[in-house]
Amino acid sequence: MKTFNLPDLGEGLPDAEIVEWLVAEGDEVEVDDPIVSMETAKAVVEVPSPYKGKVAKFHGKEGDVIKTGAPLIDFEVDGDAPQKDPEDVEVETAAEEPAPDDDAGQTEDAEERADTGTVVGNVTTSDEVVQQTHSDVGGVKVTPAVRALARKLKVDLSTVEPTGKDGTVTSADVRKAAESGPTKKAEPAPSPAPAPAPSPAPAPAPSSKPEKESAKGEWEPIRGTRRTMARTMSESHKRVVPTTIMDDADIHAWGPGEDITVRLLRSLWAGAQAEPGLNAWYDDEQNTRMVHKTMHVGMAVDTADGLFVARLRDVHSSDRQQLREEINRLRDNVKSRSIPPEDLKDYTIMLSNFGVFAGRYATPIINPPCVAIVAAGVLRHEVVPVLGGLEAHRMLPLSLTFDHRVCTGGEAARFLKAMIADLQKSQ
Amino acid sequence: MAQITLVEAVTMALAHEMKEDPTVVVFGEDVGVNGGVFRATAGLQKEFGDERVIDTPLAEVMIAGMCVGMASQGLKPVVEAQFEGFMYPMVDHVVNHAARLRHRTRGRMSCPAVFRAPWGGGIHAPEHHSDSNEATWAHFPGVRTVIPSSPSRAYGLLLAAIRDPDPVVFLEPKRIYRWQREEVEDDGEELPLDVCFVLRDGTDVTLVTWGAMVKETMEAAVALEKEGVSAEVIDVATVAPLDMETIVESVEKTGRCVIVHEAPKHCGVGAEIAAGLADQGVWHLKAPVKRVTGYDTVMPLYRNEMNYMPSAERIVHAAKETLEYA
Repeated sequence: MKTFNLPDLGEGLPDAEIVEWLVAEGDEVEVDDPIVSMETAKAVVEVPSPYKGKVAKFHGKEGDVIKTGAPLIDFEVDGDAPQKDPEDVEVETAAEEPAPDDDAGQTEDAEERADTGTVVGNVTTSDEVVQQTHSDVGGVKVTPAVRALARKLKVDLSTVEPTGKDGTVTSADVRKAAESGPTKKAEPAPSPAPAPAPSPAPAPAPSSKPEKESAKGEWEPIRGTRRTMARTMSESHKRVVPTTIMDDADIHAWGPGEDITVRLLRSLWAGAQAEPGLNAWYDDEQNTRMVHKTMHVGMAVDTADGLFVARLRDVHSSDRQQLREEINRLRDNVKSRSIPPEDLKDYTIMLSNFGVFAGRYATPIINPPCVAIVAAGVLRHEVVPVLGGLEAHRMLPLSLTFDHRVCTGGEAARFLKAMIADLQKSQ
Repeated sequence: MAQITLVEAVTMALAHEMKEDPTVVVFGEDVGVNGGVFRATAGLQKEFGDERVIDTPLAEVMIAGMCVGMASQGLKPVVEAQFEGFMYPMVDHVVNHAARLRHRTRGRMSCPAVFRAPWGGGIHAPEHHSDSNEATWAHFPGVRTVIPSSPSRAYGLLLAAIRDPDPVVFLEPKRIYRWQREEVEDDGEELPLDVCFVLRDGTDVTLVTWGAMVKETMEAAVALEKEGVSAEVIDVATVAPLDMETIVESVEKTGRCVIVHEAPKHCGVGAEIAAGLADQGVWHLKAPVKRVTGYDTVMPLYRNEMNYMPSAERIVHAAKETLEYA
């Protein structure tokens, strides 16, 4: 009596299920006769007989799960007949799908069977242990993984201090090198940060590659308008306590051809009517203020020579036509560089229309003795929820800086609110 | 430190990341109770529960679609196709959605998903269980295609793939799933994506390969060494995007290149590498670039399988061909 244990049907699976016995107890079988169909996770496999003899006993019925290595079937073996070592049993897949007629497969003789026999998932298994070998990269010992990391992080291995076993570079070494900045060697270090005083430019090292330029140039004195700007801005920064609030005016109601600058000027007067305290001068030496009953707007003008502030007169009493003429007069004066000196002073509030270039909000700076400045950013479209859907409205962003020493946040907010209300009118 | 196989390294990386990151979920056919066809997810359901390790119906389209949905909503799904040949139903979701989510939403959303599959031939499986379909994935922008070739690279690259905010197709060379063991520390240290691994330094010829073919290629390098030829071996690892820099740098040194892959030659990733060399490395080449690949036909049934796949002999032969040029 021989007991045949279920061989490993591949994939290293622990067991298999009996689908169908292909022989009956008592049948005579030859070596390699298929005796049973077994189902593994991925395939139905026919198990061939390792013995010539008579089937004595099944160790399971159809549907039973047999553990790999557990008894499957007993044979009464013909002692003289040639037998096969059960270890050599090779199994043939009965395919997961119904097998198509396969002439070659059906007509194979026994010699060819040994060649075909296998199942899904005959994965070569071994317990051989391998180790990552180090390679020598320009005199540096490094594993492939660390070398790949250096490539990824753009670290030059020859600049890395090795701390690993036997002088190898570790991944931590590479990370540390990457954190401390680019390590591409061979280029001489560029001279550090620009010196505070003029210094002779270092002679460029001869190289085929274009050298990195160190910062260099000539110092020039600040003159004229730019000098005035520098002085007034420093003064403002020292004395004023600026606070800025920002909001948008929805100008969807505007018809075509509205004059933005004119509308901004008019809205300033509307704001001043709500809160006169922002259209005012503050004398911080005397600690007195003058709230104006008229409005002359200082308009920021950007030129190649620097910033200056030009005065638009009588905004409080001008209609649109007069405002436009006043703007045009100022513009022409700027172009011809013939602004009369009286037009550069005595404004009561300020406006910057930087949005003609770019930028949404800003923190504009007040020129004392003024206490407020409004800046208008670039127009944009914004999706606005309206009753019944969404609309794209044009938005005019506004930034109002006020001197918090003499104006309250409430005053500034109410001023801005009145401006926005005026700007949102259709005309 | 455990001495583990490549497939065990996959399991270890999955377990590590599920422990570290509660948003990592694993699902696919039989990945839970059964632990996966090749046991890559063995024990995960027991450890992390059936809400994080999910057995799905046999429906790859659904697996991939669910994966994209989960990934876009804050989870990090790692899904398994039982064999690379069963990934084709997933192509729609990977290519049309996972790979494009970042672009389509202008960066508002990304798709941190990993699509895993046992990949390649050589285990005597039916022929549509044996494809090397990396070129299919490599062709599409927006998705990475990563193929480890050793236990340590399987561990480190899978960690990186899971942590990456964009989708990764992670193809595991099943032929070498249990071929060798390596000491791999479960320290959570990832390996870099998008760069090649130089496995062996040489001066005469560069052998470029990935996946299970690393085995034959290293054997070929050893055989060449006995004949006095010094071969450099590069494991590409991330086949898309491709790190041409490492390959070109090597060819600058050797002047010769043999590319080895299991997939058919026509439009394989080897063609892209050869084109890259024609473009960036032509002035350093001393010989035509050779490709040793599978043949331009479907994978044959088992008896002829190993005749189809490149052997060490074929690689040695091709390397010697390049050496005929001075």
